[in-house]
Amino acid sequence: MFHGPSLLLSILATSMVTGVILFFLKEEQARLRTALNLFGAATKVVLVALLVWGTAHGESYQLRMQFMPGLEIVLHADFLALLFGSLSAVLWLVTTIYAVGYLEGSPHRSRFFGFFSLCVAATMGIALAGNLLTFFVFYEMLTVVTYPLVVHRGTGRALAAGRTYLLYTIFGGTLVLVGTVWLSLVAGSQDFATGGFVSELAATRPGTLRAIFAVLIAGLGVKAALVPLHGWLPEAMVAPAPVSALLHAVAVVKAGAFGIIRVVYDVFGVTTAEALGVLLPLAIVAAVSIVYGSLRAAMQDDLKKRLAYSTISQLSYITLGVAIIGPLSTTGGMVHLMHQGIMKITLFFCAGLYAETLGIHRVSEMTGVGRRMPLTTAAFTIAAFGMMGVPPVAGFVSKWYLGLGGVAAGHDWVVAVLVTSSLLNALYFLPVVKVAWFDAPSDAWAGSDAAASPYGTTGAGGRRRRLEAAPLLLGPAMVTAWLSLAAGVLAGVWFGPLGLARMAVALIYPP
Amino acid sequence: MIRVIATLPLIPLAAALLAALPASPGRLRGLLMAAAALPALAVALFASAVEPAQLEWALLDTHVGLDTIGRVWLFFTSFLWCVAGLYAARYMEGRPGGRRFAVFYLMTMAGNLGLVIAQDVASFYLGFALMTFAGYGLVVHDATPEARRAGRVYLVMAVLGETMLLAGFILAAVGAPSLAMHDVVAAVATSPRAGVIVALLLAGFGIKAGALPLHMWLPLAHPVAPTPASAVLSGAMIKAGLLGWIRFLPLGLVAMEGWSIAIIALGIAAAFFGVMVGVTQRDPKTTLAYSSISQMGFLNVGLGIALGAPEAWPVAAAAILAYVVHHGIAKGALFLGVGVAAEARTVGERRFALGGLALAALSIAGAPLTSGSIAKGALKGVAPLAPGGWPAFLDVLLPVAALGSTLLMARFLFLVAVKDRAMGGRSRFMGLALPWTVLLAAVAGMMWLLPHWYDLELHAPDFTSPGRLWIMIWPIAGGTLVALLVAGIARRRPFGRGATVAPGDILIPVERAAAWAVGRLRAYPLPESLTPVQGLASLWYGTYAGADRRDSLAGAEAFVTRWAVAATMALVVIVLTMLALIAG
Repeated sequence: MFHGPSLLLSILATSMVTGVILFFLKEEQARLRTALNLFGAATKVVLVALLVWGTAHGESYQLRMQFMPGLEIVLHADFLALLFGSLSAVLWLVTTIYAVGYLEGSPHRSRFFGFFSLCVAATMGIALAGNLLTFFVFYEMLTVVTYPLVVHRGTGRALAAGRTYLLYTIFGGTLVLVGTVWLSLVAGSQDFATGGFVSELAATRPGTLRAIFAVLIAGLGVKAALVPLHGWLPEAMVAPAPVSALLHAVAVVKAGAFGIIRVVYDVFGVTTAEALGVLLPLAIVAAVSIVYGSLRAAMQDDLKKRLAYSTISQLSYITLGVAIIGPLSTTGGMVHLMHQGIMKITLFFCAGLYAETLGIHRVSEMTGVGRRMPLTTAAFTIAAFGMMGVPPVAGFVSKWYLGLGGVAAGHDWVVAVLVTSSLLNALYFLPVVKVAWFDAPSDAWAGSDAAASPYGTTGAGGRRRRLEAAPLLLGPAMVTAWLSLAAGVLAGVWFGPLGLARMAVALIYPP
Repeated sequence: MIRVIATLPLIPLAAALLAALPASPGRLRGLLMAAAALPALAVALFASAVEPAQLEWALLDTHVGLDTIGRVWLFFTSFLWCVAGLYAARYMEGRPGGRRFAVFYLMTMAGNLGLVIAQDVASFYLGFALMTFAGYGLVVHDATPEARRAGRVYLVMAVLGETMLLAGFILAAVGAPSLAMHDVVAAVATSPRAGVIVALLLAGFGIKAGALPLHMWLPLAHPVAPTPASAVLSGAMIKAGLLGWIRFLPLGLVAMEGWSIAIIALGIAAAFFGVMVGVTQRDPKTTLAYSSISQMGFLNVGLGIALGAPEAWPVAAAAILAYVVHHGIAKGALFLGVGVAAEARTVGERRFALGGLALAALSIAGAPLTSGSIAKGALKGVAPLAPGGWPAFLDVLLPVAALGSTLLMARFLFLVAVKDRAMGGRSRFMGLALPWTVLLAAVAGMMWLLPHWYDLELHAPDFTSPGRLWIMIWPIAGGTLVALLVAGIARRRPFGRGATVAPGDILIPVERAAAWAVGRLRAYPLPESLTPVQGLASLWYGTYAGADRRDSLAGAEAFVTRWAVAATMALVVIVLTMLALIAG
């Protein structure tokens, strides 16, 4: 049905075009907007599925465009692209549904969904980018189109957070540009390729390559929220819940982590990167981020802020897996790219559900909420246990592979880092789960009309309550919670996250 | 068959979902609790051993199977869960929180059954974690201040245990060709990190098994749970820690002398320590919890011997199996009996309850012809195989420890007997006594059938020779005598409060130290760099007010976000660009 380039283009176009049309819709055209949104999101899932199917059956997809003499825009679908692309496509669909429910009746929806779509278009571009230049173009586009989402509410805090966000990401983007230009000066502009394309230079100009690596990683590390470049992320949690979900799980931080994966495997190549000695420092930065993020998360009372710091920690698992050499570690890092996405999006969905349904924003207000919102709290519990690395939730699989990979590479300290992180995760997630299920309902919301329990009692107007929250919000949270569970329970199936990660790794480390 | 076995833990899990539905009536929940473990019981009784098979789609390299150890373990575990479930169905009637209890009960059951059939690291860990975390719901169910404190200690210890296990498993699995148990155990035996792995596994599982000095959560948590939950906690779940050791320590493969000595020594210490602290308790259920610590000590002696002398493992395994079945069922009967005695409203009912408790207590003490005597006899058969000078030493110590068991059981019976009870009125005695009687019948008859049913070769005690019989009887006679003596003295001059040790024993100084440290941290403003510690400390104490939570790192971060820093960063970018251009 599709030949290579047109499929790649249509994947980008579905959200790009949708986004542009959405800008021109009137605020009242809610149905049309929702229909367009869902159509765009669903089409993308189908197209990405086609892409996966095609690639699995030996097709190869590539698109080249001359941008300037010597500068090419390249799109291609390798395994890594599919990994990230399918994650984004699926999570975008659920986030769109959630966002429709979340923003019901609020102003500026056309603007919101317009940028929302463009944001995902940029993410797809990042996934499919075939060289550093293309990657950079979409990386910057992502920065620009997410800014209006972060400041969407227009409050002073939102604007301040937006400023911080822009400051950091433009700085990061500039570094990526510097790295890209510098590299093309010394090595020419080349496509991403497993094993990289700088191995000959490693012998002659190791110092330059090390510097380029550092610049690129520093630039990508801003979005990947590596400590100390993470400052924007906790600030940005003032954005509406669906945006947080997008920032923390689907697009922004993932773009950074994915970029690091590309740089290590497809620009430098593991062998060269190891020879240059740049991986161990990266692993140490990741380890510090893991512990630091968890420590800071433990100190937050604001639920979304706690989740934000947790992202810093969890995201660095990916970087850690990439920075430790060996197939097991790489598998752990790549699979966590997806696992972190589905688990963290669940947590943010739940945070939004609590806030929208009962006005709960702080952990201290969550006491007893399990009785009032059992499904939401169950989803939250599953994801929280996943973050701690308790089986059978997805996070366990990531932690397992990362730990095995660390020990196999002779870095036993990785296990210590993971275990410390698990303990800290337990420290800041278990109390939340505990108060939600086992404590008496909080005064903060217990008096309100919305507090009527779905168990037994009748709600306002004598009508028996059907659901604990708006179905458009609850549904996506349920789906991602089940996905988090399924990714762990069914880790052995070939089309699951682990199966895909294994296939990708088999290409990087041929058996 | 393998599919049937793999389904066993899914049945209680499905039942938990069913029980969680808002529409599920109390009667259905009772039925679910009683029946969810029945299929497992049937399999344990009537299925033959099943070779491990792989389910490659599930988790990581899942293997399930049923060897002899698994069959026996599944038998007493599912039997206890069944009986306690039947008991719970009646026990929870009219008590608050029945739905929540049923859900956690069934989830804990699923974890416990799952870890028994697991034949690989990941699924064992899954079962263990599910059992541990769902078990928290059972411990804190009554929501009293004691239950909350017990829950907090339980959870902290549980998380520590889980993380130690994760680290141990990762280190063990690295050298193994697959995650199947036999591969992993072989890898542990030859691993260059064997010492660390064994230490992590010993401690990680030791928490659940109530091994000294990690037992401190147990005397708090086991008694505060609702009675049927106490029975499974102390009868079945405590044994899961032991099963973890059996599954993952290189028993029968290599001799680990150092660890062997440590385990035997700690086992003996626990056997005595449990008695010494246990007799000072005032709550019968706490006495039973200490008795469990003491009894697990006996089991650890057997395990320690096998770790030091690989050739002793087959004999020790059979003895350990006999002992866990005996102790699981007898301890379950004792815990359930406390609840039965509390509901006795007539003299006849009271006599029945105390009589049944006396039978179970005698069995724990190892009276001739009870299941305890057979289990203890089997364990004694292992002692001569111990390495070094242990056999002679154990010959003296084990009977003395048995005397201690008797003493502890006497104390327990005394505490139950003197408790004031309302007479007359409606009670649920019959509903509770019925399942309890099933358990008592098992206490009386089980051991005569078990070895034949599962082909266990036990060192059988000789009940016909007077000399041998005397060896069995004197610790019981001695213990009873001492108990009567102490009771006589106490009647004349009652011991004061000072004669009791607070439940949790060494936990008290640990908690005090923690409270002191937190107090210090709060009282004196520390240098900014230390405040994260303060934040963590206040978190442990469970307040989320946030007002007094100092957050110094926030200050540092605000600094980083300032524009001034941005300018510096921009400068860095420019310099780098120039460098790049020059170098390029």
